[in-house]
Amino acid sequence: MNRNAEASLLVGASLLASLGVAMVNFTLGRGFDAQVALTFVVWILSFGSVSLALRRWAPAANPYLLPLAAILAAIGFTEIYRLDADLAAIQRWSLLLAGAAAALVLFLLRGEGVRQLRRYRYLFLTVGVLLLLLPLLPDSFPIHGAEINGSRLWVRFRGLSFQPGELAKLFLALFLASYLADNHVAMSVHTRRVFGLGFPPLRHFGPIIIAGGVAFIVLVYQRDLGASLLLFALFVGMAYIATGRRSYLAAGGLFVAVSGVVAYQAFAHVQRRVDAWIRPFDDYSDTGYQIVQALFAMGSGSISGSGIGLGRPDLIPAAATDFIFAAVAEEMGFAGSVAVIAAYALLVAAGFGIALRTRDVFRKFLAASLTIVLGVQTLLILAGVLRLFPVTGITLPFMSYGGSSLLANMILVALLARISHTGRSV
Amino acid sequence: MNPPIRHLALLMFLSFLLLVAATTYQQLIAGPDYRDDPRNLRVATTRIGRERGTIITRDGAVVAESIQDENDPTVFQRSYPYGELYAHIVGYDSLLFGTTGLEATRSDDLTSYRDATISGVLSALFGDDLRPKGLRLTIDNNLQQIASDALGKQRGAVIAIDPATGAILALVSKPSFDPNALIGIGAAGLGQALEEDAAIPLLNRATSQSYAPGSIFKIITLSAALQNGVANPSTIFSDPTSLDLPGSTAVIRNFSRNRCTAGDSVSLEDAFIRSCNTTFAQLGMDIGADGLVGQAEEFGFNRDIPFELQTLTSSLPQPNTFDFNDAGLAQTAIGQRDVQATPLQMLLATAAVANGGDIMAPFVVEEVFTAGADVVSRTEPTVWRKAIGRATADTIAGLMERVVTSGTGRRAAVPNIRIAGKTGTAEVPDSTPHAWFVGFGPVAPNPGEDQIAIVVIVESGGDIGESATGGALAAPIAQQVLAAFFSIPK
Repeated sequence: MNRNAEASLLVGASLLASLGVAMVNFTLGRGFDAQVALTFVVWILSFGSVSLALRRWAPAANPYLLPLAAILAAIGFTEIYRLDADLAAIQRWSLLLAGAAAALVLFLLRGEGVRQLRRYRYLFLTVGVLLLLLPLLPDSFPIHGAEINGSRLWVRFRGLSFQPGELAKLFLALFLASYLADNHVAMSVHTRRVFGLGFPPLRHFGPIIIAGGVAFIVLVYQRDLGASLLLFALFVGMAYIATGRRSYLAAGGLFVAVSGVVAYQAFAHVQRRVDAWIRPFDDYSDTGYQIVQALFAMGSGSISGSGIGLGRPDLIPAAATDFIFAAVAEEMGFAGSVAVIAAYALLVAAGFGIALRTRDVFRKFLAASLTIVLGVQTLLILAGVLRLFPVTGITLPFMSYGGSSLLANMILVALLARISHTGRSV
Repeated sequence: MNPPIRHLALLMFLSFLLLVAATTYQQLIAGPDYRDDPRNLRVATTRIGRERGTIITRDGAVVAESIQDENDPTVFQRSYPYGELYAHIVGYDSLLFGTTGLEATRSDDLTSYRDATISGVLSALFGDDLRPKGLRLTIDNNLQQIASDALGKQRGAVIAIDPATGAILALVSKPSFDPNALIGIGAAGLGQALEEDAAIPLLNRATSQSYAPGSIFKIITLSAALQNGVANPSTIFSDPTSLDLPGSTAVIRNFSRNRCTAGDSVSLEDAFIRSCNTTFAQLGMDIGADGLVGQAEEFGFNRDIPFELQTLTSSLPQPNTFDFNDAGLAQTAIGQRDVQATPLQMLLATAAVANGGDIMAPFVVEEVFTAGADVVSRTEPTVWRKAIGRATADTIAGLMERVVTSGTGRRAAVPNIRIAGKTGTAEVPDSTPHAWFVGFGPVAPNPGEDQIAIVVIVESGGDIGESATGGALAAPIAQQVLAAFFSIPK
């Protein structure tokens, strides 16, 4: 029954994607062409293959994860197609690839399921850190790093570019879940107190500090503030879940505050972003330009939006990637914005629900850490676009243009679904 | 281990709620400000392409219209068929330089409310006419053209008004500019050149530039004398070759640098007709600061004129600045020193004389009409100020008529029409003088007969230069407009 509900919801999401394309064709005068049908077929093929894999290997999985992802992808794709038909064509290929990869992951996990992954924790840590280091490869190598918009996050190989950091998050989440599953009991015992807060012996906490530290140094070096904050939130959040000690949250919050102040003083690029956040109109034509254009777009959207294809989201820098939410808010209005936020909230709620219902510690931790990755990434970039927080420059899961992001998040959702299938078993 | 997960889930749920609050604020509360921010290109580009209402003159000439794009019927291009002629009345609606003139002040009428918003669609369903409305001006196209031609390339302004209603019949400011050149995206260079032009073509000299009024201010000094009973037209003054001002080294001389008349004395009537500076300087001191400044304020000095086009307030110092300063008072009484008046202000003072002492509020839009040519509203004439009594007005009108028949304003005369007027030649430090003329006609109209009042100013001697006077330079310009007005078939 679950799988039939999922299938019909996916057909609905696929119709939504093709309807979006048809509306853009109408309003921008691109005419009716194969794009509408092609989009429908790609959605059915991509999400359908994941859905079929679930039907075969995880029939009891939560039926709402995949349709929520498909709806978000459809809304995002409509705006990408509206902004740039060429980007949309690439995004469709990425979606096919991501669907196939997620199905492949489900196939590989078909027997013992996610449980077997617990054994490879240091492999995952190594792969995760290596992926983070990959963009630092010098330009002379066949596979080499590339700098886009001042951040060295990309890897190029024969004209293809890839953002390995997106996948690294999954590997680090796997490592954390596995490590904490073995050590959470010892970590909950406090042997010393610092400033009134209890802390466990360092040897139980050491590897996690080292792993986190390496990830940070790499990301700070690459000037990727968003990913740094995301990983930090993941480590702190998981330490809290594993131990139930609020001291981790307090220490984590304090650390972010202090390092935030230090980073503001030390790094010009951090300073620029914070200044643009606090007073975007002061340097409207330069550092504040992006956020001001986003505010103009969202304000112009008002309640019902300008209509798809009838606004000017093309005025917003990075409208198809980091700022896709501002484009949606302009053309689909407040109604569209709230729908998108609600969809993410439902997705995150489903993820935490899976973690709560899963008895096995490793899988419980894995579900929680994957949900934190998805939720915090969404919150960070939306808070940036909505001017609740400085802009951190990370993608919006499923909606932003970008193959690496799509691939990582499809696998993330597939893993969550797989965990939900075996939820109550030990 | 579940309680911490629940806590984090709750924390994240609250964060999502915060996002909803933020998007509510950014899109709905602060949203309208962002939408209307002049730096937001969306507004400007959509506004510029939309249809706006037609503006026509009293006699039906189209002076502003929106022309539909041949390829895209939803896009309109604003056009001003008469170019420079109406630039200071109609203004412009420009992407880069904003809106001015009636395009700005009457924007609500001229805007189309046909759009794809929910309110727009609903109103259309209920049968509301969302098309832009049109404006019919009080301006007479023929008179406007003649006033502009008469002023020629000289810097200055001409305004004509119906004294009985306040309807503006012509309003010209030179130099002018072509508003068509300021509309599109490509107007940046030209617009900037206009803004930096030393001749200030964007300035509406008729309403927003003040000058020393010179001798035409004697109308106001005379009013103050008559209203306060200080003198009457037959009061005799001595006629010196020059008037030494008390407590000062300054000396007032007549235009001729001699006695104003042939004898040792002169009546106030003759002094007004010959524009005797010595007499009026003495008269100003006799009236006193309170009487003179108070009367000027009755005419509208130091007051904001209610008008749809931007106006500058004409000014004169407060009475207490003339304590122990009779010299200043004497110079003020002949329209020099600290008096600053716009052409519109001097026109309204003249119109008061023509209209029995009442100043009607000036207006330039006669009616607003729908796209279906139904009149929505019509401007009703209202009295702005009661400047002087009817008896004073009639007396001054009679004296002003003699200025045209036998005084300095002879060149404004129109055959068979009783024209009244006053000339002025305002001295300007380090420059050639400004030439003024104010006048109206016919004096004492028959019931139902239309009147016209006019002001002309030509800056810095105009085409004549050093020898320019109000009578020689400004009066003939006024004469052309007056003659045209009285030859228009009614």
